[in-house]
Amino acid sequence: MQSERKPEVGEAAPRPLAELLACPSPAADLLNASAQSVEFTSGETVFRQGATCRGLYVVASGQLQRRADRLQARVVLGSIHAGELVELAAALGNGQHTYTLVAQSPGSLMMLPMDSLHRAFDMYPPLRMHLLEELAREVSRAYVSCCATRKAGMRRRTTKMSVTESTAI
Amino acid sequence: MAGFHAHHPPEDCLNCEHRHLRMFCNLTPEALQEYDGIGIMMSHARGAKLFTEGDPARNVFVICFGQVKISSTSRDGKTMILKIAGPGDLMGLSAVLANVPHEVTAEAIEPCQVKTVRKQEFLDFLSHHGIASMHAAQALSGEYLTVFHDAKRLALSGSAAGRLARLLLDWGRSAANGKPEIRFTMALTHEEIANMAGTSRETVTRLLNQFRRDQWIVIRGSSMTIIKPDQLERLTA
Repeated sequence: MQSERKPEVGEAAPRPLAELLACPSPAADLLNASAQSVEFTSGETVFRQGATCRGLYVVASGQLQRRADRLQARVVLGSIHAGELVELAAALGNGQHTYTLVAQSPGSLMMLPMDSLHRAFDMYPPLRMHLLEELAREVSRAYVSCCATRKAGMRRRTTKMSVTESTAI
Repeated sequence: MAGFHAHHPPEDCLNCEHRHLRMFCNLTPEALQEYDGIGIMMSHARGAKLFTEGDPARNVFVICFGQVKISSTSRDGKTMILKIAGPGDLMGLSAVLANVPHEVTAEAIEPCQVKTVRKQEFLDFLSHHGIASMHAAQALSGEYLTVFHDAKRLALSGSAAGRLARLLLDWGRSAANGKPEIRFTMALTHEEIANMAGTSRETVTRLLNQFRRDQWIVIRGSSMTIIKPDQLERLTA
């Protein structure tokens, strides 16, 4: 018998969209009927960090950038492409956007409104679990990425300090 | 960080007087009844490791009281503290749901009481109760924000004073839980605070002394009270 392969840290790859949103007819029909298309042009802000989340978004076409803003400063958290889910954290969590989404090219998003999503959860509870697991994979990837970035920063700071110290000596 | 200490540690979830203050545990009576029946209550001494980065994720941990340091260690042995988890926080949730090993290490920084729930028991509980899965989603959303917040804290606050002020305000407000007095237990060493603020131990010691001299904070033993949050807030701008 083949033994089960042990998953590794950072291996939480996203699942295909069709697999995540798969649900039986009544819930699927509800989501299909309520889906709205949101067109965007290059440079347009689709939503802002802290604003109320209207639903779960799926990128249909184009490229967007996630940004965290505070006062005049900004951190780019990465790009999002066609086929990716946007803002699971806000849609499943407290309903507020966790970052600002800005279009880098013209394109469109499909939005599943919040009330339809919650009705679909009631009709088919495993849908919520599938999306919850996907959010967990996203959090897991964010942890790995954040740790890698900070560790790189620590190495840079250590190197910089060594240079400064040797210069001072 | 929540520096709130229960004088009478809860023995079970049904009779826990702090339940309504905790996001995950604030469940419907039916869900609470099942939640009370799963997992075990465990006490951990200061320094005890609840799980280590890379370990298989077999349990979800809910902190009932005490504080736990969440950190990650690089291959060359440098430790980076991501957050201090407090009462009501869930640990190991993302790894359990994503079916990956723990991304971080959790270590008690003071005596703790933690409800430990086996992976399958927890997943079954979530699938039986919509409210529990909604709370789990909120907890994950909070974790997601913590990771981003960490990146923001380091990248967006230009000065070491600003980053330290942001940390103190975050910990204080979390512990205050809406109360006017911003007081919390500081269980970390200056070295560990420096790690979180992306600065040196010497700078943390100097800045805390400066904040104290300016009467923005009061430190008594391991207890810190923020007297002038507005002044600290200005530093973070």
